[in-house]
Amino acid sequence: MAQKTPEIYSVELSGTEDVGKTDTGDGKEKYRGLKDKRLELKKNHQKEELKKEVDLEDHKLSIKELERKYGTNIVTGLSSTQAAELLARNGPNALTPPKETPEIVKFLKQMVGGFSILLWIGAILCWIAYGIQYFNDKSSSLDSVYLGCVLALVVILTGIFAYYQEAKSTNIMASFSKMIPQQALVIRDSEKKTIPADIRLLSTQGCKVDNSSLTGESEPQSRSCEFTHDNPLETKNIGFYSTTCLEGTATGMVINTGDRTIIGQIASLASGVGHEKTPIAIEIEHFVHIVAGVAVSIGILFFIIAVSMKYYVLDSIIFLIGIIVANVPEGLLATVTVTLSLTAKRMAKKNCLVKNLEAVETLGSTSIICSDKTGTLTQNRMTVAHLWFDNQIFVADTSEDHSNQVFDQSSGTWASLSKIITLCNRAEFRPGQESVPIMKKVVVGDASETALLKFSEVILGDVMEIRKRNRKVAEIPFNSTNKFQLSIHETDDPSDKRFLMVMKGAPERVLEKCSTIMVNGQEQPLDDSTAEAFHTAYMELGGLGERVLGFCHLYLPADKFPETYSFDVDTVNFPTSNLCFVGLLSMIDPPRSTVPDAVTKCRSAGIKVIMVTGDHPITAKAIAKSVGIISANSETVEDIAKRLNIPVEQVSKRDAKAAVVTGMELKDMSPEQLDELLTDYSEIVFARTSPQQKLIIVEGCQRQDAVVAVTGDGVNDSPALKKADIGIAMGIAGSDAAKNAADMVLLDDNFASIVTGVEEGRLIFDNLKKTIAYTLTKNIAELCPFLIYIIAGLPLPIGTITILFIDLGTDIIPSIALAYEKAESDIMNRKPRHKKKDRLVNAPLAIYSYLHIGLMQALGAFVVYFTVYAQEGFRPSALINLRVEWEKDSVNDLEDSYGQEWTQYQRKYLEWTGYTAFFVGIMIQQIADLIIRKTRRNSIFQQGLFRNKVIWVGIASQIIIALILSYGLGSVSALNFTMLRPQYWFVAVPHAILIWVYDEVRKLFIRLYPGSWWDKNMYY
Amino acid sequence: MRRQLRSRRAPAFPYGYRYRLDDQDEVNQNYLADEEEEAEEEARVMVVHDLEEEEEEEEKEEEEKEEEEGQGQPTSNALWQKLQTVNEYLWDPEKRMSLARTGQSWRVMIRPFAHSLNFNFNVSEPDTWQHYVISLNGFLQGYNDSLQEEMNVDCPPGQYFIQDGNEDEDKKACQFKRSFLKNCSGLEDPTFGYSTGQPCILLKMNRIVGFRPELGDPVKVSCKVQRGDENDIRSINYYPESASFDLRYYPYYGKLTHVNYTSPLVAMHFTDVVKNQAVPVQCQLKGKGIINDVINDRFVGRVIFTLNIET
Repeated sequence: MAQKTPEIYSVELSGTEDVGKTDTGDGKEKYRGLKDKRLELKKNHQKEELKKEVDLEDHKLSIKELERKYGTNIVTGLSSTQAAELLARNGPNALTPPKETPEIVKFLKQMVGGFSILLWIGAILCWIAYGIQYFNDKSSSLDSVYLGCVLALVVILTGIFAYYQEAKSTNIMASFSKMIPQQALVIRDSEKKTIPADIRLLSTQGCKVDNSSLTGESEPQSRSCEFTHDNPLETKNIGFYSTTCLEGTATGMVINTGDRTIIGQIASLASGVGHEKTPIAIEIEHFVHIVAGVAVSIGILFFIIAVSMKYYVLDSIIFLIGIIVANVPEGLLATVTVTLSLTAKRMAKKNCLVKNLEAVETLGSTSIICSDKTGTLTQNRMTVAHLWFDNQIFVADTSEDHSNQVFDQSSGTWASLSKIITLCNRAEFRPGQESVPIMKKVVVGDASETALLKFSEVILGDVMEIRKRNRKVAEIPFNSTNKFQLSIHETDDPSDKRFLMVMKGAPERVLEKCSTIMVNGQEQPLDDSTAEAFHTAYMELGGLGERVLGFCHLYLPADKFPETYSFDVDTVNFPTSNLCFVGLLSMIDPPRSTVPDAVTKCRSAGIKVIMVTGDHPITAKAIAKSVGIISANSETVEDIAKRLNIPVEQVSKRDAKAAVVTGMELKDMSPEQLDELLTDYSEIVFARTSPQQKLIIVEGCQRQDAVVAVTGDGVNDSPALKKADIGIAMGIAGSDAAKNAADMVLLDDNFASIVTGVEEGRLIFDNLKKTIAYTLTKNIAELCPFLIYIIAGLPLPIGTITILFIDLGTDIIPSIALAYEKAESDIMNRKPRHKKKDRLVNAPLAIYSYLHIGLMQALGAFVVYFTVYAQEGFRPSALINLRVEWEKDSVNDLEDSYGQEWTQYQRKYLEWTGYTAFFVGIMIQQIADLIIRKTRRNSIFQQGLFRNKVIWVGIASQIIIALILSYGLGSVSALNFTMLRPQYWFVAVPHAILIWVYDEVRKLFIRLYPGSWWDKNMYY
Repeated sequence: MRRQLRSRRAPAFPYGYRYRLDDQDEVNQNYLADEEEEAEEEARVMVVHDLEEEEEEEEKEEEEKEEEEGQGQPTSNALWQKLQTVNEYLWDPEKRMSLARTGQSWRVMIRPFAHSLNFNFNVSEPDTWQHYVISLNGFLQGYNDSLQEEMNVDCPPGQYFIQDGNEDEDKKACQFKRSFLKNCSGLEDPTFGYSTGQPCILLKMNRIVGFRPELGDPVKVSCKVQRGDENDIRSINYYPESASFDLRYYPYYGKLTHVNYTSPLVAMHFTDVVKNQAVPVQCQLKGKGIINDVINDRFVGRVIFTLNIET
């Protein structure tokens, strides 16, 4: 039985060093026994490397050996019991979806990520402190237990919230992925059929397969039973799972199913590889480190100060907790998540579906886009681009709807040419699509014929009707030896009894068969000058990267071929030479009309667009030129050589801006050479590359410290998609494996959507800066009270719980509101941020937020605090070093500045009033802070104070929450809020205005003196 | 008379009036209004005072800023003096008492100090009660008859000692002589009864600027056993014998002007208390409008302490 167990491929991963030599498939193969396989796979998964080489030996075995190996018979097949056994052992023939992280793990991650760990420490310290207190004095107050619980609750709540947000965005993804048109696995009623498993072909008949989903080659490949190549991917006797059989029939034996198919293995391999950390994750981590560093160091510093000032250690621990809580922006990470998911939703509306929230920003920092050609830059359908007849080249409209065909259609030659185009074509519209626009109709037939059919349908009207009128009597279909296609028709002129023979094919083959040429509707003999003209036109069109077809016809004389004549295509009982050449027609997969504009935008945004395609270099270059990836005035080394008529070697490489590199050249390059190539040329096209080489290119770009976006659709692209900083899969053309590996899915496969994504990504980065600056500011105002409390012994100005109400109450909606802020200037006109230099939180941001606005805010809040205390009877001078007496429970007649005496409870109540006042002071100033954060450089008045309505919702929410806390919950003593006298709400207003003015002055100087010291240090 | 009116109105207004010291007339006009009208005018007046207060607070900020700038040179001497005045007297008694306090009612406190308000001593061991005696003696130094006679005036009992005039004028204080406390004055018995197991405990009301006992009735003090057998305390003598705080000691004008003010006291002489067991005692203020049953603040109108006298 073990002998009969299907041999399973192992997927070999090799290290980066041999990346260069294994991609074309003629590298060494490795044979692994069945027993090694699992171990090997496991090892491979652990390796981070993505290069692969497929091991499969079934294609080398003879049929007899195969039968023996799989214990089957090619005539009778497996018995049903055997089949059931195999099914039980190998599982159903389906790919297992990538493993999901268990929900509980995701949840726990949220619980300990970011600042949570600091808060957990705070909570545990609280409980320990209480434990010690309780040990010493059984009647000690439960305050610290209570605080610990609140902290734990905060962590759990924010954790649940973040988890919920993530789950929600995952759900959005799930619902979208249902909307993404899934390629049907089997198209039964058409000629296309997807191969259901890896099969070894046993007999074939004109079988051609499209392996593009696996290898990226778009050309159909013929299949036969012979073993033609060592590499299973190249050999002709294997049909792969999920590839499409385009024509012909074949019988084969299933050798692998489900996950064990080549494609299954690549898919599972890619999903097993860990993601690179996203730039925004790195930025947030950096930010968390900064804040946590500040919190812990200030905390410990003041712990030491407190201990050396002879405070009790327990009290010092409580101070430490207060400092940590004040320093940690508890609500910020949740805010960032919400902000990102808002942007993700916005992007989804623009056809960029973001799978991983953090990828939202990644696109914004992208500095290199490695884009596919087919489908992404182009429309992914052949379209007639040029015609040549009457010695003239005509341009056809290649836009998405073909509506505007302006070339001269009055010539007699065009009448003949159009007839040939219409009749010599086997493609047909699928019935039942009357209401569908022509360009969207589904056609049965290959790409070129489809293009011709649609072209003629647009210009001539109902092609099917024309064909009906010109009944087809005989046909020789296109084949690769003839390189032409021929059909014979009755004419639609009832008086004309002649048959019309029409032919199309490779231009040089067609011309060989012609003796005359039609010019202006008249047949003329084909002389050398017309042949020369033909060749010039052919070369020109070919040089544009277009696929050129020649067309000719012949009216068969009625006397030799009467109406009853029986044409035999096998014996060819009709002439196939001395035909009349009518014209040339060239086709191309044209660029999407939005792409040139999008490429220009990328260029002005400092993003390098690199085309990576499996296509021919000429085609690739032509498309690159037409979309602007190679700009109009830049030349490649080859272009210069041609222009100057010197050998390529003599051209100085510095003169060339553009480069077209083929897969073969790339194969021979060392990584250093590739690096050089990537840095030397600003416009690069990689042609004839294999999907594996895409990975090498991505790695090369990443070595330049670039943030790389990669588009891809094939299964083989998935490692590159994973490796890229942001992998972009095509929603329509993309395979499931590619979509799984990608961070983002382009629902419309359109390159232009990437650009909108970039814009959103940059905007969110800017806005996150604003959010963080806004959030950090108040930390100083929250921190100072503790420091001054410790140093100067004032009654505590703000309680830990009150701080939490700011961080998680009043400040949440405003900081989210900043995400709705519009860009200050054209963000698409600046360079992408350098991922190591342009940090989310940089020194100017921290310094300006903490030390400028933060200190002003702290001062303002202290003014409110002192006002309240002074009005109650404690003047500021009386508060200094009052702490010990103030907090003594046994002192119930503490004298204030006016000789009044206060009981402990009265003081407590006054302290809470102080908390509320301080809270209100911060809140009022945070309104000003929110307004100034709308812009970083422009004046608020340039930006428009009321353009972002959400800001005002934020401000209203702040005020309402504060009012509710003070007047609604002021009687709940546990919350430490009191009903504040109305006038105290206005004490901080002058300070708020001061903050606004200060920031306007800052911005003014930044605008006035760009590049100055001020600009460098005050612009965050 | 104006004073009187104002003072009687004030406690009823939680947020009271604020006025500018240099604009007394306006204030007086407000106060001259009839009581009924005042109630109606309340809203309007509140608005006015809000605005005023804002201004004042801004002034205060300015002044704080100036303090930060190291007492920036005043451009005008007059302005500086005005600022000083505002700074000193911004907190008018009436204004202050109506702030966001937990309620305007008397808090009481006792002397001598005792940890957790447990008076726990052994009559035959002076060491256990000596610190009470020292505490009381120290506390009563300010009440020495000679000092009181020298510093303070003997004002007529039974009525408020209202002193009109400018805010910043010094106020006179009424004499409260140590000798008023009779047996608890420490004059005859320098151990305040602790040596005989008949301890004296002094009760005082926490000072509140401008505040007066309700409706002109003196506040009385009455003590009893808080929990347990009422007969655990068989007799208490109060000094002054009225067991009340005479009206003449009110209102208090704040220590800035009312420099020599000495809080009136009521001494409780527990002459016959059950010995060798803890007796919880609650002393309450009694009088019209006196609150003495607040749970949060256990010193509002009452004080609870335990006596545990061992022999």
